[in-house]
Amino acid sequence: MPAGRSLHRQLLLWLLLPQIVLWVVAAFGAYRLASRHADELADASLLQAARALARQIKPTASGLFVDLPRSAQDILAADPEDRVTYMVSSPPGQLLLGDARLPPPPGTPRLNEPVFFDATLPEAMRVVSLDLHLGAAGAADSTLRVQVARSSAPRELLARRMLLDTALPLSLLIALMSMVVWTGIRRGLRPLAELQQQVEGRRADALDPVQLRAAPPEVGALAGAVNELLGQVQQNLATQRRFISDAAHQLRTPLAGLKGQTELALAATTDPALRQRLQRVHESAQRGARLVSQLLVLARAEPEAVAAQGWASVDCARLVHEVTADWVPRALAAGCDLGVDVADGNASVQGAELLLCEALVNLIDNALRYAGEGATITVRLRRSGDDLWLDVEDDGPGLAPELRERAFERFVRGATTGDGCGLGLAIVREIAERHGGSAQLLSAEPHGCIARLTLPLQA
Amino acid sequence: MNLLLAEDDALLADALQQQLLNASFKVEWAENGAVAEYLLRRQDFDVAILDLGLPLVDGLTVLKRVREAGRSLPILVLTALDALEHRVAGLRAGADDYLTKPFDFPELEARLHALMRRGRPATQTQQLRRLTLDRAARRASVGGEPLELSPREWTLLDLLLRERDRVVSKLQIVEAWGGEDGAGGGSIEVYIHRLRRKLEGSGLAVRTVRGLGYLLEAMGS
Repeated sequence: MPAGRSLHRQLLLWLLLPQIVLWVVAAFGAYRLASRHADELADASLLQAARALARQIKPTASGLFVDLPRSAQDILAADPEDRVTYMVSSPPGQLLLGDARLPPPPGTPRLNEPVFFDATLPEAMRVVSLDLHLGAAGAADSTLRVQVARSSAPRELLARRMLLDTALPLSLLIALMSMVVWTGIRRGLRPLAELQQQVEGRRADALDPVQLRAAPPEVGALAGAVNELLGQVQQNLATQRRFISDAAHQLRTPLAGLKGQTELALAATTDPALRQRLQRVHESAQRGARLVSQLLVLARAEPEAVAAQGWASVDCARLVHEVTADWVPRALAAGCDLGVDVADGNASVQGAELLLCEALVNLIDNALRYAGEGATITVRLRRSGDDLWLDVEDDGPGLAPELRERAFERFVRGATTGDGCGLGLAIVREIAERHGGSAQLLSAEPHGCIARLTLPLQA
Repeated sequence: MNLLLAEDDALLADALQQQLLNASFKVEWAENGAVAEYLLRRQDFDVAILDLGLPLVDGLTVLKRVREAGRSLPILVLTALDALEHRVAGLRAGADDYLTKPFDFPELEARLHALMRRGRPATQTQQLRRLTLDRAARRASVGGEPLELSPREWTLLDLLLRERDRVVSKLQIVEAWGGEDGAGGGSIEVYIHRLRRKLEGSGLAVRTVRGLGYLLEAMGS
């Protein structure tokens, strides 16, 4: 699935962008319309002026008589800002009166039809040109052209003002609208964000249902689907774990029988070749038995199983004494000197006693397996800040640093012989992490190995 | 020694029967819970091995009913289950010990003996290697030679012998002495030292287990 744009961004884009474009287009249209009407109004007044001027021109026998009183001339040129100029010519182009700079209109104007155009002389002017027929007595068929020009500056000023008056409230409106849309989207998408947070923020093994406060139906359905899926995964996991646990249990009885039978056969046989074969069968049975128990421990270290066992305060000092004392006979049989070194004071942690016990058993068992005969093994309890260190130290050959991390992986065995199943340290780490701690292998001085379980001390 | 073996797996039962026979037990085999219950009610056994997953009547029920019938023989529960709650349930129902399959036969044998020892009165004479302990007379001898033991030394030896091959903590020793520590923790070491000298030539050794206590073992075993 290609990563899509965020819903937030998409909604914003689709809601805001078209809206802004439409607003701008509408505003532009309104401005154009307004300015056209303004132009028309201005042109009409220009034409009125031209017609008024034309009325003052009377044909006489000798030519044309322009009856333009001084006062009217003053009015035409009154406002210096609003410069008005005129030109009367007859025949068109031949100056009769006024400002000779006014250019002729484009094209061929028809009689009585005003032509509006822009001209630069040198400032921008709007010009109206009106050709009239002078039904004169003397000079027949003569055409009179009246042109009035007015500076464009006031019109542009007006247009600018109109633009500004439209754009300013519009920008404000767009800003306000964006804020409203943004808030709306945020509010609308909040349940989704909440769902996302809950799904993203959870650990891989957290399968409890997603909780949403007052979710709208669409998100509620999504959350429901997620919850259903989580429930199914949880159920499948539980089934699988139960299967492992059941299978392991079922394997135990036949394995016990196999062990017993081979032990008997071993005792009854004197043939060295046969004994050797039987010995191997026996070792296999032993290893199978161990693997089965370890698998069960691992199943028990799973979160649900841990929850079922109950969480309580565990005194690790007592635990170390009890477990180690239990193992002393086996250590003696293996020719190892197993002892305890426990610092006084608080050694309580919150946890599942059975699991912590299992972790320690695995560490001692490992030490007995790999330290070799004659080794000294010490189970040590120390405090380090807010942590408790449960160390099992031996003076055996130790383990190369590059192999230490690998030793915690499942089914990686430190030796090719013996009945180790390669789950011991994996179990230890699993249990440590279940208790909010960690497990690591360190070097002992001058040689040997320290397996350290770090657990958070109970305050 | 009469032993009832209640186990439904024929292969395991067969092997166990043979191994127990070799360890000089007289074995009666019950292959389901009903037979086991019947036999345990009617006959006298010194000890019983009871599988929890028996057909017809499950082991826990057998255990409860036998205890309700007033039978007090030591019963060792054998099971393929090992979760804590099962262990607790088994012990609550009246089991004396608990062993998970698969197990090592020597361990089973040791536990059976321990159970029977616990059941018997402690006033017995105990013999181990060259040491003889007569609890009734509070006397001990090595190879027939009587040992001169102070009361505390005798209590210490008695305790170590009862718990042989198991670690005896200093606390246990102090408790056996009647709760008073004498001249402090250091005095235990003095007594152990003396006892070691007196046990020379008995074939027994008192080991010091660092940080835990002491352990009596037969040398060369």
